[in-house]
Amino acid sequence: MTTVLEGAPAGLVAVDVQAAAVQFLVDEELYPLPAIYGAAYVFIDRCYVFLDRPEPARVRVVLTAKSGAAEPEALRALIGEFANELLSCAFRHQIAQDNRVLIETATMQALAGAMGQPSLDDLAKFDFSDQGFDDPLGIAMSWEEKHGRKAPKSESEGGP
Amino acid sequence: MTDRHELRFSRRLYHGEAVDQAVKAFARFASFDLEQTDDDWVVRFTPNDPALARRLRGELGNHALGLTVQRGGAK
Amino acid sequence: MNLPVQPASLVTLRPRAGTQAYFRWRPVGDRVLVTNLEGNWLLLGQPEFAQFVEGHVPEDSELHARLKAGNFLRAHYDVRAAAERIRARKSFLAGGPLLHILVVTLRCNETCVYCHASRANMDQVHTDMTRETAERAIDLVFRSPNPFVTIEFQGGEPLVNFDVVKHAIEYAVDQNRAHGKRLQFTMVSNFALLDDDKLEYLMRHRVQLCTSIDGPEKLHNAQRKLPTQDAHQRAIRWIKRINEAYAANGLDPTLYHVEALLTTTRETLPLWKEVVDTYVGLGCKALFLRAIDPFGFADRTRRRLEYPRADYMQFYRRAVDYMIELNKQGVQILERYASIFLTKILRGEDPNFLDLRSPSGAGIGALAYNYDGKVFTCDEGRMLHEMGDDTFLLGDVHGSSFRDLVGHETVRAMTIASNLDGQPDCVHCTYQPYCGTIPSFNHKSQGSIFGRMRESNVCAVHKGIQDYLFEKLAEADPATLAIFDRWTTVRSRDHFVQPAP
Repeated sequence: MTTVLEGAPAGLVAVDVQAAAVQFLVDEELYPLPAIYGAAYVFIDRCYVFLDRPEPARVRVVLTAKSGAAEPEALRALIGEFANELLSCAFRHQIAQDNRVLIETATMQALAGAMGQPSLDDLAKFDFSDQGFDDPLGIAMSWEEKHGRKAPKSESEGGP
Repeated sequence: MTDRHELRFSRRLYHGEAVDQAVKAFARFASFDLEQTDDDWVVRFTPNDPALARRLRGELGNHALGLTVQRGGAK
Repeated sequence: MNLPVQPASLVTLRPRAGTQAYFRWRPVGDRVLVTNLEGNWLLLGQPEFAQFVEGHVPEDSELHARLKAGNFLRAHYDVRAAAERIRARKSFLAGGPLLHILVVTLRCNETCVYCHASRANMDQVHTDMTRETAERAIDLVFRSPNPFVTIEFQGGEPLVNFDVVKHAIEYAVDQNRAHGKRLQFTMVSNFALLDDDKLEYLMRHRVQLCTSIDGPEKLHNAQRKLPTQDAHQRAIRWIKRINEAYAANGLDPTLYHVEALLTTTRETLPLWKEVVDTYVGLGCKALFLRAIDPFGFADRTRRRLEYPRADYMQFYRRAVDYMIELNKQGVQILERYASIFLTKILRGEDPNFLDLRSPSGAGIGALAYNYDGKVFTCDEGRMLHEMGDDTFLLGDVHGSSFRDLVGHETVRAMTIASNLDGQPDCVHCTYQPYCGTIPSFNHKSQGSIFGRMRESNVCAVHKGIQDYLFEKLAEADPATLAIFDRWTTVRSRDHFVQPAP
């Protein structure tokens, strides 16, 4: 049976002591989905985490203690920790967008510097068949492919 | 009485392949049926050992969430 | 709950944007500290700060000149100078792994109250590194693009597997003939198994020796247990012997002496004076007042050893106040945290302490090689592996290439997670240019490599120490400032560098 927790926003947080579970109704306008995923993921070592969408723009997060039993105090702590983690993830999501260039530049320099130049063996082992390469800016395309004159359709058809 | 359980994974929140893979990972522990509705990936299962139902339900949910996060979300 | 109260004069300020360049601020005592993107800083009186944020600093004023010199004014912002300062602070960035930790065995002759998961009993010989594994680890060490590499022997107790230590040293020296790196060796040991032959070998091969001293004898022996109950006596006997050996070789004792590490437990906190006196008495020139970390022991033990970080900060302030007083009397002893932060604050350089930089050194600045050949981003990651958590496992010396290891997705994730430009709280923190976060600590204590800094013990300690240092800088006592300046002077210890091949 779910009950409302004293001090928690009405309608947004509920506790089921018997099931050792807490649930939150999270507003997607305040907390973007990547932040909800990020916060939920942090708890999967301790809890069973389930998400659903009972109404538009609202995500319900249910955290159930894996142990199957939890004191009300532990559930209260879980609520607090999830709320803090959610805020932290939402804020980080925004900061990562704001400082994307700064973070990417530092990461690229650090990793390229640490890995050093590839050896001939490294180059020989490179997997060119990997299709996971995403190239939205067309960096991997040749200049001719990207800017060159398109071949007339008729010429390419029926060729050898 | 059969010990039948149902989990509805919202298609806006869970990646379909993640749910599929999670079901495959736990196939040894239950018999599963999958259904796709406009809103949800529906997973119905009967655990081989009824005592494991709660755990199976929870682990399946975590597995599907973990794989969804790994894929960068539901889309 | 006590919430920090802003001084009334700051609450009533009406900031007016337009004249200031980007800055962060924090009250320090009765002054206000402002720092900017590149880590320049100024301590302003509250009326000065009000003038600054309200945008009416007279152009011909002394305050205007200070703000301009520090690059705090938009109209005079020197982009080139800012870029140079940032470049200097981040000079470590493209260096690659410098520190390579070889855990040559998990076996240890001592039983320490704070160390369970990263040690094994003396009969567990299967936790010894083999010669072949050591060779493969060293092959990887020399794949690092960094021209400086340090191989650190750890355990367990490395003297337990001394044959492999010797083999690793000789193999590395031999391999370095082809690589020509500035190669150094260090060994972290409790010294209890040291003897004259081993010491002679280590001195001849220029191995820098470090040990653990937990403070006065009674505390040390209670925390670091030998069956003979004399861990402290054995350690200090060898510290003296080693220091004498350095002096006999004509080495400057202010530079060449045994380095010792402290692990601060709850029992240590009231003994701040005794701890400092113990280190000074042993001829140590540096004391690292490290707070206890959550790795390697059970939760049950942690509750007995842990303490609120406010208590730790009281301990830290008392101990460092005392060290400053001793320095004024001519004793040379520095606190390592203070030295690291002050080097960044006063010199605008980064001493490349791997846990106190942004991004952290996990994987990109250091690698840890376990006895069985498994490779981790850091020693803490290796300890978590011994506790059943493989989050920081990168690969294996037998099957992974160097680029596999440092290009691993875990290293990428940790590099991003420990970049303070992406971290809530840090991004607006006045101390951001000087600080760092530890992803493995965040993972262990808060469940994610990002962590939540407002609730982090590491953050509380870092902020607390920098508050203390800036309070001292605000007091501007000339003798203290001279001591701080000396604490930031890095003198190279070239004797420990292997001779050029």
